[in-house]
Amino acid sequence: MGEGQIRQWEIGHLKLRFEVVWSMAISSLRVRLFRSFLTCLTITVATAFMMYLLTMPRAAEASEQQSWYLMLTLALIVAAAGVLNAMLMSVSQRYREIGTIKCLGALDTMVLYSVLLEAAMLGLIGAIAGAIAGGIISVLLGLASHGGNVFQELELGGLGYKVMFVFFVGMILTTLGASIPAWVAAKMPPVEAMRGEK
Amino acid sequence: MTTAESDSAPRQSEHVQWFANLDQQVDCTVMTKGVCKDYVMGEITIHALDDVSVSIGSGEYISIMGPSGSGKTTLFNCIGGLTKPTAGSVFIDEIDVAQLDANELAWLRCRKIGYIFQSYNIIKVMTAVENVLLPMLFAGVPRDDAQDRAVEILERVGLGDRILHTPKELSGGQQQRVAIARAFANTPAIILADEPTANLDVNTGEQIIHLMKEMNREMGVTVICSTHDHKMLDVSDRIVWMEDGQIKQIRRREDVDIKVDRLAEKE
Ligand SMILES: Nc1ncnc2c1ncn2[C@@H]1O[C@H](COP(=O)(O)OP(=O)(O)O)[C@@H](O)[C@H]1O
Ligand SMILES: [Mg+2]
Repeated sequence: MGEGQIRQWEIGHLKLRFEVVWSMAISSLRVRLFRSFLTCLTITVATAFMMYLLTMPRAAEASEQQSWYLMLTLALIVAAAGVLNAMLMSVSQRYREIGTIKCLGALDTMVLYSVLLEAAMLGLIGAIAGAIAGGIISVLLGLASHGGNVFQELELGGLGYKVMFVFFVGMILTTLGASIPAWVAAKMPPVEAMRGEK
Repeated sequence: MTTAESDSAPRQSEHVQWFANLDQQVDCTVMTKGVCKDYVMGEITIHALDDVSVSIGSGEYISIMGPSGSGKTTLFNCIGGLTKPTAGSVFIDEIDVAQLDANELAWLRCRKIGYIFQSYNIIKVMTAVENVLLPMLFAGVPRDDAQDRAVEILERVGLGDRILHTPKELSGGQQQRVAIARAFANTPAIILADEPTANLDVNTGEQIIHLMKEMNREMGVTVICSTHDHKMLDVSDRIVWMEDGQIKQIRRREDVDIKVDRLAEKE
């Protein structure tokens, strides 16, 4: 070999593969099925409450309106906090695993997106279930208090929009709640991550 | 390589002795130059690595010995780009690891370096074959090809009948074989094995070391392996002795008389 060394390779770049992100997220959901179910339930309850608030027979007085907004806000906060907590737990149980896959060449973005996707899937299922459940609860409670003419009393105007609204809010909250844990996981230095719990 | 030796001009006289022990390495996979790593803990600073310079040739099998706390793991972390040295540089095939961005570092870890850990670090929730698949998926290998290769390597390390087992269904030695298969999956240039046998009984440990040696010969990969155990030294080309974050000795295997309790120089 002449002057200097001829390297057989050049440094390359890794591409983020959606397929891999997807399978990591699915595998994490499957492994922690019971916790995933509970997280999903949190989202369902919050979304259902939101849906109920939007469709229930509403009084026109200003004071009632205020408490209505308050309840809506509370429902959103509870949902976001529940997701934040659940995803933080899910991530902190996986420190070692995350450190290991980073040693194997996982990109930060891969870790980030797989945690976000995991939460988004929970959000999707929870939000759909919640929107349906909330609607049903509205109808049932309405039937109980108003009897047969429930459908006139209920705020069913723009029902499609309401379902969509509730659904998107549920999804966005879930993803927001998961963004902090996802960021923590993605930025964790592999060495420290592996030093963590055995 | 014409400049490596003169570039790393030894600062201390004892360095001269180490380099005298080196053959002229034509292709040098790993080179550290004056690598220091300090950990500041409140008032005190721990010099985990103190001016470590070593050149490791392509295809060499290097054993690193040294008591606990001597800086072996820290050195591995610096070589693997997991820890930034406080001073000095690490070169992998003449690429300065400190110059790489996050994605390039991930690429390096994925394609050029295979890690083997003391505690196996097999992903608990995945089967053996899924564990071996991972680095290949990260590297962009299509899943079907990766699957075939994963099975092939698992057969090579003697786990052909265990590919669908999860870690809790595998013994320590078997888990370490999965880790070896995983480390070799992307045909790396360097294997960094940090006390791979420390959690295993002596016989299993020796099997693991011999497996690594075979892979080292077959694939021409450079193996850097730290160990406490003198029995594990026989397979190495050179032995590095570390103490207090410094390299005390580097010896070729044939110049060393391996006794069970000490490392003696041949008369
Ligand atoms: N993250 C850290 N923070 C503080 N000190 C550390 C850290 N990692 C290692 N050390 C210290 O550096 C020294 C070398 O440690 P290490 O490289 O793990 O040695 P070995 O692997 O040879 O047992 C030890 O004194 C250890 O306490
Ligand atoms: Mg160590």
